[in-house]
Amino acid sequence: MVPATTRAVNRGLIIGGCVVYFLAVGMFERFTARPVITDLLTLGWTVLAGLWAVAGVWAARTVLPPASSAPDGDEAGGRTARAVTHAALAGLLAGAVPALFLLLADAINLRPMLINAGATMVNALAVDDSAVAGALRLVLAALVIATVAGIVASAPAQVRRVAGWALGMVVLLALVEPLLRVIIASLGLRTSWLYQRGGLGVSGAVIALVLGVAVGVLRRRDTPTTARDDGDDGPRARLARGGRIAGLVAGAVLLLVLPRLVGPFLSEVVGTIGLFAIMGIGLNIVVGSAGLLHLGYVAFFAIGAYVTALLTSPAAALGTELSFWAALPIVVLVTAIAGLFVGAPVLRLRGDYLAIVTLAFGEIARILALSDWLRPALGGAQGILAVPAPTIGAMRFRDPQMLYYVIIVACAITAFIAWRLEDSRVGRAWTAMREDEQVAQIMGISISRYKLLAFALGAGIASVSGALFAVKIGSVFPHSFDILVSITALSVVILGGIGSLRGVFLGALVLVGLPDLLREFGEYRMLLYGGLLVAIMILRPQGLLPNVRRMAELGEEERLQDQWLKRAGDAGDPEPAIATTKTDGAS
Amino acid sequence: MATSSATTESAEPPASPPPGDAGGPQLGLADRIPLRRIIRWGLAVALVLGIASGAYQTLAAGVFSPAQWRDLVVFGIAQGSIYALIALGYTLVYGILFMINFAHGEVFMAGGFTAFFAARAMDQAGFLNQQPVLAVLILLAIAMAVSTTVAVTLERVAYRPLRNAPRLIPLITAIGASLFLQYSFRGLYGEDIHSYPRIDALTGTWTIAGIPILRTQAIVIVAALALMVGLYFFISRTTMGRSMRAVAEDREIASLMGIDVNRVIVTTFAIGGMLAGAAGILYALVFRQVHFLMGFLPGIKAFTAAVIGGIGSIIGAAVGGLLLGLLEAVAPFLLLSGAGIPAPNQLKDVIAFSILVIVLIMRPGGLFGSREPEKL
Amino acid sequence: MSLLEIRGLTKSFGGLTAIDGLDLDVAEGEIVSVIGPNGAGKTTLFNLITGVYPADGGAITFDGVELVGRDPDAITRFGISRTFQNVRLFPDMTVLENVMVGRHCRTKSGVIGAVLGLPSARREQAEVREQAKEILSFFGTRLSGYRHNQPAFVLSYANRRRLEIARAMATGARLLLLDEPVAGMNPRETAEMVELVGRLRDEKGFTLLVIEHDMRVVKGVSDRVVALDYGRKIAEGTYSEVAGNDRVIEAYLGKKATA
Repeated sequence: MVPATTRAVNRGLIIGGCVVYFLAVGMFERFTARPVITDLLTLGWTVLAGLWAVAGVWAARTVLPPASSAPDGDEAGGRTARAVTHAALAGLLAGAVPALFLLLADAINLRPMLINAGATMVNALAVDDSAVAGALRLVLAALVIATVAGIVASAPAQVRRVAGWALGMVVLLALVEPLLRVIIASLGLRTSWLYQRGGLGVSGAVIALVLGVAVGVLRRRDTPTTARDDGDDGPRARLARGGRIAGLVAGAVLLLVLPRLVGPFLSEVVGTIGLFAIMGIGLNIVVGSAGLLHLGYVAFFAIGAYVTALLTSPAAALGTELSFWAALPIVVLVTAIAGLFVGAPVLRLRGDYLAIVTLAFGEIARILALSDWLRPALGGAQGILAVPAPTIGAMRFRDPQMLYYVIIVACAITAFIAWRLEDSRVGRAWTAMREDEQVAQIMGISISRYKLLAFALGAGIASVSGALFAVKIGSVFPHSFDILVSITALSVVILGGIGSLRGVFLGALVLVGLPDLLREFGEYRMLLYGGLLVAIMILRPQGLLPNVRRMAELGEEERLQDQWLKRAGDAGDPEPAIATTKTDGAS
Repeated sequence: MATSSATTESAEPPASPPPGDAGGPQLGLADRIPLRRIIRWGLAVALVLGIASGAYQTLAAGVFSPAQWRDLVVFGIAQGSIYALIALGYTLVYGILFMINFAHGEVFMAGGFTAFFAARAMDQAGFLNQQPVLAVLILLAIAMAVSTTVAVTLERVAYRPLRNAPRLIPLITAIGASLFLQYSFRGLYGEDIHSYPRIDALTGTWTIAGIPILRTQAIVIVAALALMVGLYFFISRTTMGRSMRAVAEDREIASLMGIDVNRVIVTTFAIGGMLAGAAGILYALVFRQVHFLMGFLPGIKAFTAAVIGGIGSIIGAAVGGLLLGLLEAVAPFLLLSGAGIPAPNQLKDVIAFSILVIVLIMRPGGLFGSREPEKL
Repeated sequence: MSLLEIRGLTKSFGGLTAIDGLDLDVAEGEIVSVIGPNGAGKTTLFNLITGVYPADGGAITFDGVELVGRDPDAITRFGISRTFQNVRLFPDMTVLENVMVGRHCRTKSGVIGAVLGLPSARREQAEVREQAKEILSFFGTRLSGYRHNQPAFVLSYANRRRLEIARAMATGARLLLLDEPVAGMNPRETAEMVELVGRLRDEKGFTLLVIEHDMRVVKGVSDRVVALDYGRKIAEGTYSEVAGNDRVIEAYLGKKATA
């Protein structure tokens, strides 16, 4: 084992490297444009401080016991002292590395290569002071922050939780400023007590801190909610059900008035969230239920949009000029058939091949839409214009505040379909297939049929999203349909938790909504998605709102642990070689 | 879910006991003739007809001169040898970890893109044209170093924690890593397309065996060949190569035999990275452009090449790369232009991807892949 | 006429012939055991009957229907189901769901029925659930009550084997293929399983083909025993006939062994 001090040094250097990356990639400069606490703290510095705090905590952990409910006594005292020293050491290094980078960027012009490491960055980092003074200040700041973080990390769990919540609440409230301010204002209230010029005011920051402390104190440690409701009608169950119904009603009312509440711009954002939620629901059937990793999902979205445009637009070569509602069933049908065509050749492929082949299909669709060959039909790079809005009587669903309702209804219907299928014969066949394809087939499930069904259904749902997308922007261009759409949809499914319906909505909210709110993030959206995918897979593969069943499947490690515990309590039956069922299934 | 099942449970009395109700099995046509066989035959017939008619029309129309065909073939081989180098990275990693390193295209991009700045600096200093050989070697070294670093870091940070996770998880991680790398390099180096400086000594043609060949293309082909031969000897003759083969065969047994599996895996990624870095420079010599998304398409194409050859097989990756490069260069013109399709070159990626799909349907094990029987 | 009729069945992997011109008959209501040393081709035989591997040659007829060349799911629909040597349940589905999956091929409802909640689909769902419970009750208290909603992966090893049998029963098969049903069980559980196999025939009317290594089990359950070695049938008859057969003893113990 490497000595703890060496590990602390390593961790400090790693975080220092991360800080330099954060600077060089240009995020710092972009993020300093956004205040967290107006005139006091910008987002850029918040992230830097966060990284240094991570360095402190991480370095302190080299000494602290893993689940630290630190025992009393001299030993604990000595350990705390060492933890704080390690934190300070790591902080020093995590500050020194970017300080050196600052001096370097000041001395040599790095801009020809690293386009973000120019004078603007130097000035932002040195706060318009000389580079040397700025560098010293960086080291000092890092040292202080990491040391404090180390002290907090050595403190009892309660203190750590409260500190985490308090700081987290400040950042969270600051980040949702564009949304929350509009909502508060539309209720006819003043906002200056909370927000000032894009960030929290001083009073707002205090409120956020207090709120965070309150949440941290009140929130009990992990309340496990795994208990399954087996339909027993105890008073508590009835109460819980009543609460759930009340929550649902409140949610429905909120959804109904949302566009009025948030205004046209945010309604558009909400609409986009809805479109991705629909795609997520469809993709969740393909990836989550049936276990087929599909990376060309954008193709179905695109087909949905194009077919809608072809059928409805007066500018389209087809010239049918159907109404949106008349076109929609045709769109879904055509796309579902396309889903079959994509699915059929890849039926026999293993998961990883399937991913690449579907990716290839997605690219084929985009290239064909762009090509001169199909230009007469699809309009090449110019696409198809003048897609008419859906109408019901005199109502035109064009502007975001109106189209919102169509999207919400579509969301609800697709979610309902997915929910109903979960505990049905079809859903069970998919689950069985996902868990062990070979055995599922030997148990009488036609693998080809159910894979094709998943593809077709997933495609059909994506086409609804595509059709709504076409009317939302009123035209279709091939450039709207690149691989990043597939990746975004996949990220939506994965963040929320593979196979989890609730998770899809959360995923769409966070991944599609947040970047639209935070323009500063726009440029780094894909970078953050990528990082997020990696981080989730490593740290929490079951996602944020896991499907209970799926959770067990992905958390192999925890599962094996559970089994060991189970075995200890259930000594009557010998249970050898548990892992074999799973590993054999993979071969 | 729980509530709905509770209501249905009490709805009906138990139905007749299940066994013995297999009375008359109703089997549709689909059970008698498996669907995949129909698809496979249909596709094969359509393919043969399509290729034959397209090629016939093109050749009959005589759109292109023999010299043009020859140039296309040479270009295809040069392009194919770049694919082959990248494909080796996929195949090596797959052979050992059974995962598709989706981010390998970005490893390739990292080297080629970073070396560009050195190339530009050397060009401005005049060094590039005074010492072209040395300069290209320096560029190769830089690109290989950067790509190797990226590949090894990738393994350490993203893949190692997931080594025993279910298959889907490392794959999603790899997709995430690919995206992260692409946009990191966009943040670092900007989103402009940069043009590699021209090296005067490498412009023009050499005449080899009576065939004029662009110098860059000749160099690319020779360099790729040399690297592949080197790799072959490394794998077959050195201790490390032997360890790699052992780990590919059975990781657990290999570690019981005293092989440091982590070191072998890191080495594998490093070798894949080196080859990808070299491919980055060769790519820059031929296409003279670098961009943060430049790894995406070559990455998928190289994967295609690896699959064509049979993923896991080193010779397969090399042959698959050459084959794909060749097909991609020739096929659009040969098959499509005769059929009157405008701008057939736009569709070359469609052809490459179609080849991937077709190979996977017809012969999923690839040309050199082993067909392992499924275990039960 | 036999329920299952195998004639000249042949399968080889590369150069290795796993099943070599095998003939085998199983009559309706019979319990037949297949024995043989490791690598004799027993599991391969099961894989050929259930369509996991395509046969190289020969014929497998089940109730007058030719099975060679059909997909595994079609063969299950004809009425053959099986368990696995290394127990392959759907680990994250509940006990009840595992059995309900078995009913899949005897039910019809599809996407539309489930989404719209059609009466036929609801009825079918309720029926399947009841049938699954009924099948599980065959195992006494072992897999009943609170166990219904446990995920399969928490079950003990013996219970997994039982659940696998329940799942196979649920497919509505007439012929069950059990691959080493007592492997890894303790003596008490083994005795229970012997009794259970008998009850499967006597109470539920299944015909059984059983691969087993444990000779006490073979003796206890079989009407007839077939011994395989190198993919060929080397003996057939009652337990005592086969157990005393020289070639069988030779196959297990090697040449020149005295009984």
